[in-house]
Amino acid sequence: MTHEVIRHLLDDYVTGDLSDEVRAPVADHVAVCAICSAEVESLQRILERAADLPKSIDPPAEAWSNIRSTILREEKAAESHTRSIARPFWQRPLVLGAAAAVVVAVLSSTVTALYLNSRSASALAQRTPGSAVESATPATLAQFTVEENNYLRQASALQDLLDQQEAALAPETVAQLKASLRTIDEAILEARNALARDPSNKLLVEMLSANYKQKVDLLRRSTEMTRGT
Amino acid sequence: MKTSAVASDNIGPLPSTTAEDKAATLECIQRAQRGDVDAFEVLYRENAGRVFALCIRLKGGDRSDATELMQDVFIKAWRRLETFRGDCAFSSWLHRLAVNTMLENARGDHRRSARVLSMEDTSLLPGAARSSGIDLRLEMEEAVASLPKGARMAFVLHDVEGYQHQEIAEQLSVSVGTVKAQLHRARRLLRERLGEEGRRKGEEGL
Repeated sequence: MTHEVIRHLLDDYVTGDLSDEVRAPVADHVAVCAICSAEVESLQRILERAADLPKSIDPPAEAWSNIRSTILREEKAAESHTRSIARPFWQRPLVLGAAAAVVVAVLSSTVTALYLNSRSASALAQRTPGSAVESATPATLAQFTVEENNYLRQASALQDLLDQQEAALAPETVAQLKASLRTIDEAILEARNALARDPSNKLLVEMLSANYKQKVDLLRRSTEMTRGT
Repeated sequence: MKTSAVASDNIGPLPSTTAEDKAATLECIQRAQRGDVDAFEVLYRENAGRVFALCIRLKGGDRSDATELMQDVFIKAWRRLETFRGDCAFSSWLHRLAVNTMLENARGDHRRSARVLSMEDTSLLPGAARSSGIDLRLEMEEAVASLPKGARMAFVLHDVEGYQHQEIAEQLSVSVGTVKAQLHRARRLLRERLGEEGRRKGEEGL
């Protein structure tokens, strides 16, 4: 190996990174070459000074308190986030509130629409006696009575269950739930009163049926919520 | 960013060396992994000095940047504690995290003017009394801090911290040849700046 080639190997020679077969001729050359020998000594002094640098330097005293406060802040945020995602999305108070609000809005508008429909249907029925389209047949009414009784039984059982499990829900969720149930009950009452005035109105029957179904669905979802399913 | 798959456990002496101390450190790690911040503070106290020394050199002697980097490293360490499986020493794991964090931060950073260690800033060294030995160390610290970033990182990781060429190449996502070239450049510049070059040339009669 020439002097120039060997000079490029001196870094690895000094740090012991040459293989034995390469190291031997380099060592032989360094032993007789003043330039390479001086360069090796110079490199060794740099490495010695690097090794002599302190391995540990005290950080500023406030560093730990900065780290600790960041950690605790993140932990608190994570805990809060975990609590909010521990329940399925539809069980979260805000989501439930929004869902209940939708139910209420739908029911309110349904009630309004059906009131209007019932009046026009009633008027239409009066104008066209025997109309099969808008009038509830005795068979339909009888069927609804059975259906209504079923809904009432289901709603009653679910309400009992919910009353027992109410403590498992957040207070704001319970408040929102009760408000929604009150609104549905009012819609049921309105529809029932309208049906009493116009027993042959098929649309009122359908409205009442839909309201009962909404109530049972909401009660069922609420009881599932308390079980965390 | 790749991390070293062949990380050595010998990146400087461990803060805890006896079997008893190692068991205590392991217990702290396990407690911290379960969310015990006080246990994490023990780990911080054991390792902060070494991590800060690395950070201050990687940051070219800027104490403020180094403090910020060190804080980032320990906050990341807390977040990633669950991933520490004891395959290497905790101090080695922290060192790699420091290098990775430095590189990640550097990608989003605009280069700021580095404040090179002042010769008067003896507070950076343990035992603040000045002596000829400390003067030599400060001179060396200054020279290292003044190196170009690539050369400085290679020098700090290899010649100060004891990483192998391959490990540095993997951490920096460069080839081993590039690491060696940066090391050669760093040593040449240091020799120039520390007067070694003049001494060598004088010895050569140049």
